[in-house]
Order: sequence, then structure tokens, then C-alpha cells
Amino acid sequence: MQYVIIGSSAAGINAIEAIRSKDKKSKIVVLSDEKTPLYSRCLISYFLAGTIDEKKIWYRSENFFKENKVDTVLGVRAEKIDTDKKEITLANKEKIKFDKLLIATGASAKMESVKGVDKKGVFPLRTIEHALEMQSMLGRVKQVAVLGGGLVGLRAAYALKNRGKEVTVFVRSPQILSQIIDKGSADIMQAHIEEKGIKIKTGSAATEIKGSDSVKNLIIDNRSEYPCELVIIGKGVSPNIAIAKDAGIKTNWGILADGFLKTDNKDIFAAGDVAEAHDIALEENSINAIWPAACEQGRIAGLNMTGEKESYEGSLAMNSLEFFGLPVISIGITKPKKDIYEELIKKDENRKIYKKIVLRNGIIVGAITLNAVETIGILGTLIKNKVDVSAIKDTILEDHFNYGKIVNIVKNSKQGFKQKEFKETTMTL
Amino acid sequence: MKKIYCDIKKCIGCRACEIACAVEHSKSKKLDEAIKERPLPIKRRKAESIEGDVPRSKFPKITEAGNLEWGIVISTGCHHCEDAPCVAACMSSAMYKDKKTGQTKHDEEKCVGCWMCIMSCPFGALSRQKQDKIIVKCDLCPDRDIPACVEACQTAALFLGTEKEFKKKLCNT
Repeated sequence: MQYVIIGSSAAGINAIEAIRSKDKKSKIVVLSDEKTPLYSRCLISYFLAGTIDEKKIWYRSENFFKENKVDTVLGVRAEKIDTDKKEITLANKEKIKFDKLLIATGASAKMESVKGVDKKGVFPLRTIEHALEMQSMLGRVKQVAVLGGGLVGLRAAYALKNRGKEVTVFVRSPQILSQIIDKGSADIMQAHIEEKGIKIKTGSAATEIKGSDSVKNLIIDNRSEYPCELVIIGKGVSPNIAIAKDAGIKTNWGILADGFLKTDNKDIFAAGDVAEAHDIALEENSINAIWPAACEQGRIAGLNMTGEKESYEGSLAMNSLEFFGLPVISIGITKPKKDIYEELIKKDENRKIYKKIVLRNGIIVGAITLNAVETIGILGTLIKNKVDVSAIKDTILEDHFNYGKIVNIVKNSKQGFKQKEFKETTMTL
Repeated sequence: MKKIYCDIKKCIGCRACEIACAVEHSKSKKLDEAIKERPLPIKRRKAESIEGDVPRSKFPKITEAGNLEWGIVISTGCHHCEDAPCVAACMSSAMYKDKKTGQTKHDEEKCVGCWMCIMSCPFGALSRQKQDKIIVKCDLCPDRDIPACVEACQTAALFLGTEKEFKKKLCNT
């Protein structure tokens, strides 16, 4: 048996560990186009901010591959999968055979289709290389423009503000973090970030990046100019599906993965940011390009590659962010578009607290908590277990809401909550 | 593995466990000193009302029949889940499983305060230590034979042991 894994971030690493938990002997080969793949991608912005040193960015020990007896081909791109011959061709024309393959090629930063995007000083923030390159030029940077008010854009803005730069974020939509939270919570966060000195321009976009070789300034909305030496593009990511699509593996927006994270080819699996799999709240396939989903998918795909029959319950969109001491966490559907949803909101602007739950037929399908985040995991549990919370829905947004308030629901749930520890809490009730 | 269980039938929501926990995790380990420390020591256990308002600083009631009514309360903290969602979610590998004991442990040095574990904890058992931007959670009191909360529990609602031992105890009482 020879296992091959393309990609060595969260999904790839977890797959290796899962395979090795069942199969100590077979050969595992990992392919990555990054030379140093064992870092935590989510920590890049912390590194750029200077709040952690380079040591902390390593997610596993440097001997990880050796300890797990994994052969590596690093810094070389996998270019082609031949599903008949069960063989991968690398950019250097080397060929590698597989019996079971995991495609965990992740996603790439979307680059804005704005004129001048190829100038020096324009970066996405996706790899450690990007952060190191940016860091090396920080000495001559005074003003920074961030294009995009999503998670990565704002984290980059926060990082560079922390480095003493003047930062302006240009956001095309009317609110920041529009893919993650609703306008009510976003407005509180935006005001907070602005209070701390980052400028945010919503409803505003760069129409051109100007400069001879390096970036000198931006043209905003075809009108005004914004001088800057560094531009960060935070326009989200798109899944790296080309290699799978060319091989005839079924893809949509991502690579379609079933309830065992298998593709439509019985020997090929997909996990992580590239995989389009079941979403618990949406009840349809979706890509949740987030760290916890990549880890879980990698683990389950890895187990199933060894012949286990571990089913995948699906993922939930979830994000946790904090800027200048104000945290916000969201799970599931936070901006429902149809009227079959019910929204309950509690807002306390003085304390900068905002909480919201979204319900569908009495079942929670989404939640946002801003500055009172400690209990949101309980809401995640309610979302995953799809229980009717009508009886307690008014207490959920109260300050004193906690696990105790759902113990009766856990106890009375017919299908049972999925983790064994829940039972332990109700044994004596 | 050995961990802390709560017998809901015995818990009266007195919050002695909360205080003992916070004091144990203070620098001085003395209540009168601990309350002056900054940042304030954080409890990793909470008495949470299931029915009734007891832990919300309301006194227990005496019913018409003359009985003392406490409400129903559970003292809860990290359950050291076998398949721990916080460990799976941690992006800096600060949260990990101790391979020998099965405990869910947390390495403060590695924690960056991303709160992904809070996002994933089914029990809401983690707290933020805001000053240093790190998570705090039940560590089962590594310096003691019996965790401070269990020792402080006056009604013997809290119990340290394996699931089997806890069930056995329930049968015997």
C-alpha cells in the first residue's frame, strides 16, 4: 500500500497522523509546493504583527515527517493525476504511484482584478513567504492599503498597525466581515477598530494601483488618490481544484467529497479548503475553508484511506476574531436571506456586546457573539445536534446563559448528543 | 481516565468549588491575598443552575411545606473529552491530549489567544485571561493529590475518579 497526500497543511498533517494511527508500516508520500510546510497558516498574521516569533508558527515538530516515517517531496508542484495508472506527475516530471490518494491542495488567495496588481509591494497574505517578504520591506513603508474587509484583510491591517504603520482598509461592501457576521455586530467592531486608529472606508474600492515599478499610490473609486508603499489584497480564497478537474474528478466550486470524504473515484479522497462537503447548517454541500474543518476532514479522510468506515457528519462555518481586545465569534448561518428563519438579537452598545441566534423551525442554525464569546461553543453543540430549543430560546441571549441551561435538553434528546461526555453530565439528573 | 464528576443530586450551588479553584490558581494561594492580585485569578469551574436561580446570588427558598429548596445545579468545568474538539480546533497546538493520562492539557507558551477552543468547546468550559491573551481551563490541579474544588465541596457532590468509580460511588450512596 502506498498513500500519497498532496498538500501538507492542516488537512494533510491530520491525515498523516490518522493513517499512522492505523497503519504503521505502509509508505506515505507527501507532496507540497511549499518548501517549509509544517507551519500554522492561521498564525501568519500574528507573526506579521510581531506578537509571536517565528518559533511559535511551527505547528508540529521539525522531525514530524521523520517521526511518522513520511517521505516528502517539498517545493515541487504536483501537476497531473492519472487516475487509470494511479500516478502523479510533478513539475520536475518525476512520477509517483499511489494506491490511495488524498487531495488537500488547499486554496489560493484571490487577486483583485485591478490594474497594477502586479506591481512590487502588492501582496496577498496566504503563505509564510508573503509575510517574510512583507516584513523585509517594512522599514520603508509608512502607509498601507488593505483591499478587502474580510478576516485576512483585517488581520493584516491589525498586524501592520501593530508595526506602527498607517493603515486604511477599503471595503467594497457596506460592512466589514460581510462573509462572517451581520451588519449589527460588524458596525460595533468597525467603530472599535477605527477608535484604535485604523481607517476603514466601506462602500469603497481601489480602481487602479499606480507606480512605476513599485506601488506609489492607489486610485480610489476612479476619483481620489491614496499614497501607500504596501498594498495587501484580502479578497478571500478560491480552492485549488485544477489538478482534480483535469483528472476528471468531479468538481463544483471545490472537489466534491461524500459522507466519507471520498471523491467520485474510490481511491481518491479530498479534505481541507479544497473540499466541498456537507455543511450541517445549510444541509447541502459547501466549502468551509477554516482550520478546524480542515483538521477534522484530514483526520477522517486519513482513517478512511486505511479502510476504516468513519463517516463525516459535516462542517459548520465558524470564525473567531479579535481586534484590539474585542473578540467576535460566529458559527453557521449568520445572515439568513429567506423568511423561514427567525432571528433573535440582543445588543448592548455601551458594553460593546452583541449576540444573535438564527433559528429554523425552532432549531438553531447560526449564532454570533461579540465581546461575550465564552458560551458560543454550547450554541455550536445545539446547531450540530439539531434539537428544538423553543423552550429555552429566550434565555440563550441572557448574560447568565451557560451549559446548565441545556442539560435538560441534553437529557431529553431522543437521538442523544453525539459525544460521550454529554451523557456523563446527565447521569445524576 | 480520572477526572471530576458532579452528582447533581448533591450540588446545592454554594460555589465553594469556584472559590477554591480561583484561589488554587492564584499566585498566593490564599483567598485574602488572591482577591488583590491583578489579573484576578480565574475560576475554571462554574456552578450553573439547571432549574431555578440559585447560583445567581439568590438565597434558597423555604417552600410552603417547610422544605428548603435549592434549585437544580451542576458544577461543571473541562470534561477532558476523549475526542476533544478544542484540541482539534487549536491552530497553534497549545491544546493537546496527554498521551499517558488522557487529560486535555494547555500550553500557555504556545497559546496565541485566537479563542478557537472557545468556539469549539461544547460545554463553554474555557475562559479568557484577557491581559496575557491566553486561555485558562481545568488542569485537575497538578500540584495536588485531590483537586481544590473536590476538596472544598462540602456536600460531596464533586468526585475525582474514573467513570467506573463514579458509577460505583453512585450505587453505594
